[in-house]
Amino acid sequence: MIELRNVSLKYGDREILKNVSLTIKDNTIKAILGPSGVGKSTILKLMLGLIKPNSGHVIVDGTDITCMKESSLYSIRRKMGMVFQGNALFDSLTISQNLGFFLRENLKLPEAEISRKVAEQIQFAGLEGYEDQLPESLSGGMRRRVAIGRALIFKPHMILFDEPTAGLDPVSSKKILSLISSLRQHNNLGAVIVTHIIDDVFHVADSVAVLYQGEIIFDDVTEKLHEADHPFIRSILSDKILEL
Amino acid sequence: MGGKNEKPTFTRMKTERSKASAPHLTLFMPLLFMRSLEKKLVMRLKDFFLTMQEFFLFSVKAFMAFPKMIRYWRDVLDQATICGTDSIPIVLVSAISIGALLAIEVGNLLEDFGAKTMLGRSTALSVIRELGPLLMGLMLSARFGSRNGAELGAMQISEQIDALRAFGTDPIAKLVMPRLLAALIMFLPLTALSDFAGLQSAAYMAEHYHRIDPGIFWNAVYPRLAPKDFVVGFLKAPVFAVIITLVSCFNGFSARGGTAGVGRSTIKGIVVSSGLVLIANFYVSKIVLENM
Repeated sequence: MIELRNVSLKYGDREILKNVSLTIKDNTIKAILGPSGVGKSTILKLMLGLIKPNSGHVIVDGTDITCMKESSLYSIRRKMGMVFQGNALFDSLTISQNLGFFLRENLKLPEAEISRKVAEQIQFAGLEGYEDQLPESLSGGMRRRVAIGRALIFKPHMILFDEPTAGLDPVSSKKILSLISSLRQHNNLGAVIVTHIIDDVFHVADSVAVLYQGEIIFDDVTEKLHEADHPFIRSILSDKILEL
Repeated sequence: MGGKNEKPTFTRMKTERSKASAPHLTLFMPLLFMRSLEKKLVMRLKDFFLTMQEFFLFSVKAFMAFPKMIRYWRDVLDQATICGTDSIPIVLVSAISIGALLAIEVGNLLEDFGAKTMLGRSTALSVIRELGPLLMGLMLSARFGSRNGAELGAMQISEQIDALRAFGTDPIAKLVMPRLLAALIMFLPLTALSDFAGLQSAAYMAEHYHRIDPGIFWNAVYPRLAPKDFVVGFLKAPVFAVIITLVSCFNGFSARGGTAGVGRSTIKGIVVSSGLVLIANFYVSKIVLENM
C-alpha cells in the first residue's frame, strides 16, 4: 500500500502540490487525473522517492520513505515498477538488454535464468523478432510495451504508469489499456495511472483522484465521478480530454 | 490656437502630471536601480553557492563509488576506449602541430642570440612541463567533456537517469565513476604520448628547418631534464582528468529544458572545464616548481 499524507511540494516560488493525501491499496488500479503540468507525474516520483516533499509523508508498505537515504530507498523501489511518460528506455541497449537490465544489475541470477525471463517478457509484450533491435527502431506502442515489460520483469507489487497512452494511436492505446487491465487479472498487481485522458480512467481504474491546482478535489471510486459537482470535474466530463 | 482658452486635453493633463512627479521619480530612480541590482546579485550568489554545494556532493559521491569498479568494469573499459584510444588522433595532431610551431618560433628567437643549440632544452621544457599536458587537457575537455555533457544531458531529459534510480541503480556509480576512473587511468599515457609527439615534431623541425643536428638537439634534452619537470607535467594529467570528468558529468546531470537545455549544459561543461584546466595548469606548475 502506498500512502501520501498531507504532502506539499514547491519548485522555487511555484507551489506544485498543496496538502495532498492519497491512499493506493494493493491489487487495485488507481488513476490520478488532471490537466497537463499540474503535478501528476511529480506524485509518482514522490512515491518512488525520486524527489522529496517539502512537507508531509510518503509511506510505502508501512515504511515512511520521506527522509530515507538514497541507498536505503533501493529496496523500497524494487516493490514498484515505473513506466515513464517517454518510456525512458536506455537507448544504447537492445530490447533484450533493456528488459534484462534490472536482473543483471541487481539480482545475482545465472545468465540462463535472465535469458528465460527476458524471453517471457518479449512474448508477453508481443515483440518476438525485435530482441536485438535498439529502441529507436521501434514504434511508439512497441516502445511502451518494452517499458511495461521492463517494469514487470522483477515482479513488483505495484506498477506506476505515467501517461501510458499519451502520444499513441487509438489502436496502440487500446492494446496498452488491455495490457494494464490484464496485469491485475493475471499477475495480481496494483497500479497507479497518471493521465489526462478521462476515457483511460473509465477503461481501467477502480478509483480515481482528480488533481486540480495542486489539490485533490475528488478521490473515490470511478463510478462516483459522474456524481461529483465540482465545476472542473463537470467540465472534464463534458470535454473528456483535458487540454487545459 | 493654443491660447488662453485652450481646453485641457487628456494628453496635456498627463504630461503636466508627469512633469509634476518627475523630480520625485528622479530622486528614487538610482535607489530603485540599486535595490534591483542588489536583489539580482544576491540571487546569483545564492545560486552559485548552491551549485557549488551540489557539485561538491556530486564529486564526493563519484569518488565514494570507486569500490564499485569491479561491478562496472565493462563500463570502465568502454569509457577507457572512448577517452583513451579514441582520443589518440586529436592528441597527436595537436601535439605535433604545437611542437613543430614551437621549434620554428623558439629557434628563430634563439638564432638572434646565437644560442640555437639550446633549442632542444627550451622545447623539451615547454612541451613536457606545460604544452603537452595543457593541450591534451584542452583537447580532451572538448572531446571527452562534450561527449559526457551531451550523453548524460540527453539521458537526464529523457528520464533515463530517473529510470536508473527507479530500478535501484546508483546513476553516479553506473555513469560517472567509470568515466572518472577511465580518465584517471588514460590521461597519463595520453600525456606521455602528447609529450613524445610534441618533442619528435620539434626535433624534426629543428633538423629540417633550423638545420640543427639531431644529436645536438637530443643532447640538449635528455641530460638536462630534472625529475621535477616530469612531476609538473604528469601531475597535471590526474588533475585535468578529475576536473574535466566531474564538471562535464555534473553539467550533464543538471541539464533541464529539452534539447536546448542539453546544448546549454554541454557548452557550460566545456567552457567551465577548459577554464579550470587553464587555471589548474598554472597552479600545479607554480606549486610544484616552488616546492621541488
